Amino acid sequence: MRTFLALLALLAVNVALGATRPFEQVWLVELGVVAVMAAIIVLVSMEVRREPPLVRLFAGVGFFWAAILFGMTLTDYLAR
Amino acid sequence: MSSAGTLHGDAAARDPHIPPPTLDRPDDYLHAQSTLRSWFLTTDHKRIALLYLASITAFFVIGAVAAGFVRLALVVPDGAIMTNDTYNKAFTIHGVVMVWFFLIPSIPATFGNFLIPLMIGAKDLAFPKLNLTSWYVFMTGALFTLVAVVLGGVDTGWTFYAPLSTAFSNTWVLPALIGVTIVGFSSILTGLNFVVTIHTMRAPGMTWFRLPIFVWTHYATSLIFLLATPVITLALILLIAERAFHVGVFDPAYGGDPVLFQHLFWFYSHPAVYIMVLPGMGVISEIVPAFAQKKLFGYRFVAYAAIGLASVTFFVWGHHMFVNGQSDLASLAFSALSFAVAVPSAVKVYNWTATIHKGSLRLDTPMLYAMGYIGLFVLGGLTGLYLATLAINQHIHATYFVVAHFHYIMVGGTVLAFLGGLHFWWPKITGRMYSEPWGRISALFIFIGFNVTFFPQFILGYLGMPRRYATYPPEFQLLNVLSSAGSTILAAGYLFPMVYLVHSLWFGRRAPGNPWDAKGLEWETASPPPPHNFAGVPRVPKVPYDYPIQAQETGRQHT
Amino acid sequence: MSAEFIGANPAEPVGVTRAGHFATDAQQRHAATFGMWAWLLTELLLFAGLFLTALILRLLHPEAVQAAAGHLKFWIGAANTVVLLCSSLTMSAAIELSRLGWQRMMVGCLLATASLGALFLMLKGYEYHADYEEQMMPFLARRPYALAEQPATRLFVNLYYVATALHALHLFTGIAILLGLTWKASRPGFLQRHQNWIEVYGLYWHFIDLIWIIAFPVLYVVNR
Repeated sequence: MRTFLALLALLAVNVALGATRPFEQVWLVELGVVAVMAAIIVLVSMEVRREPPLVRLFAGVGFFWAAILFGMTLTDYLAR
Repeated sequence: MSSAGTLHGDAAARDPHIPPPTLDRPDDYLHAQSTLRSWFLTTDHKRIALLYLASITAFFVIGAVAAGFVRLALVVPDGAIMTNDTYNKAFTIHGVVMVWFFLIPSIPATFGNFLIPLMIGAKDLAFPKLNLTSWYVFMTGALFTLVAVVLGGVDTGWTFYAPLSTAFSNTWVLPALIGVTIVGFSSILTGLNFVVTIHTMRAPGMTWFRLPIFVWTHYATSLIFLLATPVITLALILLIAERAFHVGVFDPAYGGDPVLFQHLFWFYSHPAVYIMVLPGMGVISEIVPAFAQKKLFGYRFVAYAAIGLASVTFFVWGHHMFVNGQSDLASLAFSALSFAVAVPSAVKVYNWTATIHKGSLRLDTPMLYAMGYIGLFVLGGLTGLYLATLAINQHIHATYFVVAHFHYIMVGGTVLAFLGGLHFWWPKITGRMYSEPWGRISALFIFIGFNVTFFPQFILGYLGMPRRYATYPPEFQLLNVLSSAGSTILAAGYLFPMVYLVHSLWFGRRAPGNPWDAKGLEWETASPPPPHNFAGVPRVPKVPYDYPIQAQETGRQHT
Repeated sequence: MSAEFIGANPAEPVGVTRAGHFATDAQQRHAATFGMWAWLLTELLLFAGLFLTALILRLLHPEAVQAAAGHLKFWIGAANTVVLLCSSLTMSAAIELSRLGWQRMMVGCLLATASLGALFLMLKGYEYHADYEEQMMPFLARRPYALAEQPATRLFVNLYYVATALHALHLFTGIAILLGLTWKASRPGFLQRHQNWIEVYGLYWHFIDLIWIIAFPVLYVVNR
């Protein structure tokens, strides 16, 4: 239940920021909020904190591999 | 050393629904049940491996026939033998079928499925029903692709680059894309099964560093299956959406970027070539110690190199895109990292060579293929370094140099490893010995035919002949004719095993449990194995590759 | 030594029936959970490609993407996010109840989860209908497109459809499997034989929620 309320609160923050757009770089904050929400879902709702190290590794490696995809592709688009 | 299984098996472990074995119907996995249902609804990893073996052989033939069309057309420089459209369809079908329906499943789905539970001392994979599902998914994808071929073919090349594939090609691109998307799920399910099995189902005492290298390389391959395949699934979904609905993200006419497709495509397709290479390395790592009767040199290095390959391979995909408009920074990064990825492969080659050194060599068919593999893989790999060099790439990108490079690795490497493994484990899988003289003759035909076909292509590429062109300057004709002639020798080499291996099923000498005196748990059970693999709990050896020759640094031999 | 299937200890209120190729219950549970995480790994990378495309579009056409994002139905998207968060709550409850052995309440929570998922799909359908009415479906060649004077907006809008449709497909499949699972889970003796199925399925449901938690801001929020 606390998890649910925390997620709801973070969502409210993002909705408020999205509706009001207080400053130019607000997207940084919004994506930060998303990262926190994702971490809560993975660690708490999906109980990764309680799983053995192997499962923890596989839960995390997908994000790391997506980062490779993003990072190396951005070496192209950011430097054109 | 036991013969083909005890007659009555382990009574307590026998499935009560199957009648007890008799003298003329042994109780190995091949003969325990013989209904169609027991094959097409099997969950036995060994039978599923044979389902895959039959399918990929059929697709190999289709892909080879397509290649035959290509080599036939290239006998003349002016494209007189077939239309340009037919030529484009021939090389596309060759690529699509060979990559996704032969090379990628070849070793993992046949030998991986058959051997991994045996090698780790398990009764089956972690998810046997998922294993069967993966074969049906594979066949569904194949069906869509074959529909595309039968309806008239595809002409975009196996790389399906946009906007040709999405906006301009008027061939059967959609069913082909759907077929390839579906077959990707088959790989994912296989990889998932292998990863979970290797982590959770090793026999008591089978620690990671007692595993055969075959298992390590399949583990690494399975990681690539899981991490890379979804990205091409997404790329193909976007391509399908683009072709069907003009989504536009890859179309410059709408402001989209075709290079984005290439990033998504090659993020998978470069690691995919390591899916094709790593399992072959696993096969070689089993054959070489057995036929040198010598412990694998540098076991831990070879194991770590497999994981290293599977990791670094994800950082190099842009080397397929040096001339396509990506930034210089990206090209530099991808080029440097491509040099790095050669290192783990080289480590493995050095270790195999060191294993052969001062070994007690027997040049039986599997070892002939293994040694051919090592030489041809080195040639193919070294030419990759030329391609990774930015300045040189400008001149040889999209020429026959590239074609020769990857065929040296895919055919000179993977296909030779597949055939070597097929001969090495044939006694285990079928309980029969093949004809050794014919095995050696075929290996020779394949080695010679292969080099006559593909070495001229390095020269052609260096001289500037582009790939995927139906016509070429007349001065290149001699080398092209030589290449096409070589392909007929190669074809003969492929045909012979199809005859003598099938012949051995009825007329081959019955195989003992361990005809090669090889090490590994698969050789500790009968040939063919019983349905549940082992009669009891297998005894895990304390040391892997515990061959008679355990060479020390001084070169002293221990027998 | 052992029969093909080993029934759970009747003294235990919840457990698993061990399949013949596993040596222990713990091994089977671990393999199932680990297998689901391996599958979710692939799903994450599938959607990662979509999010990358969204990022690249933003880099290539910043004004067009901003204009397109402004026309998306922000409040329906936000409401749908709340719906999915609620469904994750009910799914977590179902998991806890399965561990306690409270079968009837667990089935109720599973049904609530499926209903909330269906509510999401209904809201999504309503949203697509509204998009159609407002001429925000550039992939329909015969229909005029509201932002036609900024051609690059089509890219982001079309991407929005691909992304949300793919997510909706996963959700739909998830609901279908959930209903099948709920049916089996309502049979007597289910929790003695297959309790971990609820946990393993729950991982998938939470993951679909996770994808939407990322997709909603990426599509609807950050580009406004």
